[in-house]
Amino acid sequence: MALQVYTASLLKEGLVAYLSLKDGVPSWTADIREATADTADRLDSLKAAAESAEQDNIVVAPYVIDVLETENGWKAATKREQIRAEGPSFALPQDSSTAHRSDESRRAA
Amino acid sequence: MYQYSEQDHQLLLERVEQFRGQVQRRLSGQLSEDEFKQQRLRNGLYLQLHAYMLRVAIPYGLLSAEQMRTLAHIARKYDKGYGHFSTRQNIQYNWPQLEDVPDILDDLAAVEMHAIQTSGNCIRNTTSDPLAGVARDEIEDPRPYCELIRQWSTFHPEFNFLPRKFKIAVSGAIGDRAAVAVHDIGLRLVEGPEGENGFEIYVGGGLGRTPMIGKLIRPFLPKEDMLTYLEAILRVYNQLGRRDNLYKARIKILVHETGEEKFRELVEEEWQKIKATGLYLREQDVERIKGFFKDPDYETLPDTDAEFENQLLSNPEFARWADKNIELHKQSGYRVVYLSLKSANQPPGDVTADQMDAVADLADKYSLGQIRTTHRQNLVLSDVKLQDLPALWQELKALDLATPNYNHVTDIISCPGLDYCALATARSIPISKAITDRFDDYDFVNDLGDVSINISGCINACGHHHVANIGILGVNKKGEEVYQLTLGGSAREDASIGKIIGPAFDADQIVDAIGDVLNVYLENREEPEETFLATYRRLGQDPFKERLYG
Ligand code: HEM
Ligand code: SF4
Repeated sequence: MALQVYTASLLKEGLVAYLSLKDGVPSWTADIREATADTADRLDSLKAAAESAEQDNIVVAPYVIDVLETENGWKAATKREQIRAEGPSFALPQDSSTAHRSDESRRAA
Repeated sequence: MYQYSEQDHQLLLERVEQFRGQVQRRLSGQLSEDEFKQQRLRNGLYLQLHAYMLRVAIPYGLLSAEQMRTLAHIARKYDKGYGHFSTRQNIQYNWPQLEDVPDILDDLAAVEMHAIQTSGNCIRNTTSDPLAGVARDEIEDPRPYCELIRQWSTFHPEFNFLPRKFKIAVSGAIGDRAAVAVHDIGLRLVEGPEGENGFEIYVGGGLGRTPMIGKLIRPFLPKEDMLTYLEAILRVYNQLGRRDNLYKARIKILVHETGEEKFRELVEEEWQKIKATGLYLREQDVERIKGFFKDPDYETLPDTDAEFENQLLSNPEFARWADKNIELHKQSGYRVVYLSLKSANQPPGDVTADQMDAVADLADKYSLGQIRTTHRQNLVLSDVKLQDLPALWQELKALDLATPNYNHVTDIISCPGLDYCALATARSIPISKAITDRFDDYDFVNDLGDVSINISGCINACGHHHVANIGILGVNKKGEEVYQLTLGGSAREDASIGKIIGPAFDADQIVDAIGDVLNVYLENREEPEETFLATYRRLGQDPFKERLYG
């Protein structure tokens, strides 16, 4: 049975996040490799944590995605979710001088 | 340029404050996402694949240098240092955070800009010819009419919840540079039987999954009836447009299902009722708006310049750029300059904050402080003196805004596709990049001449692939991104919808397929002046099909 993780958008930042559940404590991470994965028949606790994060206005519209196990941890199964996990598939336009928001803020949650 | 009244300013500030309250209530949990979604969409804020996306309207594509600097400031302060100019003369920011959006809207309001009605089922930003007011082939400047439509459609209470989104474009020239034929309503200024200008009215154009060319429902409408007639069309649509099926909700479907003749009758009937109401345009009202778009004080200059001519002869690189990216101006001694946003280094339509600031400075220095955005996702400096062109070119080159490719094969329209868009089925930007990299030889590009390639990442067709000479549609086939080719579309005055040529190509085959299509053209054109489109229309699909699949 395929492994799945919960993903959503962070309400405040809008950024992509994945649910991690360690010892029953939920947190949302930008790194899909840190997500907690399980098979579809054992998703209850993840589902409950995702729904309560939505109710608590931490995330928007959580849903499950299939992941594959690789040497480096979980990898999203579809192209869409891979791009969601990794960002646009090319270097973003950038000025040499610009001190715009760094990717640090992606980890804000 | 139009300047806001005190009342306009007030209205905008109130709207920003209202949205600030809504954002706060959402963040504190008083509003659910379902409740908030409607409100954020009313303010141009989407939630996309990676982040929020804010769409800001640029009314009829006209920007002051100061407005451009504000767009740069927003990109730098609240986003990742760039923005994306869209085919409908909007700019999109891909990474704003929710809590910052009210501040962004405040900054925009300070320069008379906003994101109102840039999404949702309402009348969107009215778009126009980027050469309005300066084109040699212009019958009349469309901008005052765009502004009248903007004022009429903004916060129009009756048309705030239409069956679906509604897009209007206005052109005042013989050449159509605003894709009028693929808008819900397209208006073209034409000379009437008595020498008086009026409008041709096209209704029911659109792209998406059911692409259609607008139908001419009125060959001549006196200008003073413009708003009453638009109101009549919108009323018929608002009453009869389908709300039961999202895919059938656009006016194009209503016109199609009702039949052109019957639809025309319905509009005329409605129009008779409201023809003489307050929307009837009095001469003084039109004159007042026209006052904002008066010609600047052009200098009296000869239409030649020694240094310009000298550069053309002695500097091949300059000559190439001048040949491709400069257009004649109605005023002697001036030229229109296209700033290409289609270099190999950035996605089509993307501009960094530093580039925006620099363009604002160049506009001040060389072009009377104004910038226009185009349907093909480029920028325009509309009033450059012939004598300034060499210096301007040097500066544009340093900014990577001088790729000599306007209306040529690498001047690609591309939607954000799967790299940004939550609705996408395939990527489009990497395909545009691969095409641009492949066809980087100037002589080849030059030899191909006038040809358009447009790419969309799904059937919604934001990248206008249906109306490209060569259209590319990315689709998802069993998890793989594959690309369908359509040939023979045009978004100009000879508008047509392209036809799918055959089965889709894999991502690593599509550039070769484009190469094949271009070669069939080169081998079969009757003379170098015969464009790709003309050759295709003469020959039909067969020789292209044969090469691609034979
Ligand atoms: C990334 C966020 C975007 C979303 C969610 C989105 C959504 C859509 C949808 C659903 C349609 C189909 C409408 C219909 O057929 O009823 C559409 C069409 C269109 N969009 Fe977008 N779009 C996005 C970005 C863009 C961009 C970047 C552009 C400009 C480059 C654009 C311009 C257009 C145009 C010109 C059309 C086709 C014309 C028509 O309305 O028939 N959109 N869009
Ligand atoms: S065409 Fe599709 S993929 Fe491209 S921007 Fe529009 S909705 Fe997104």
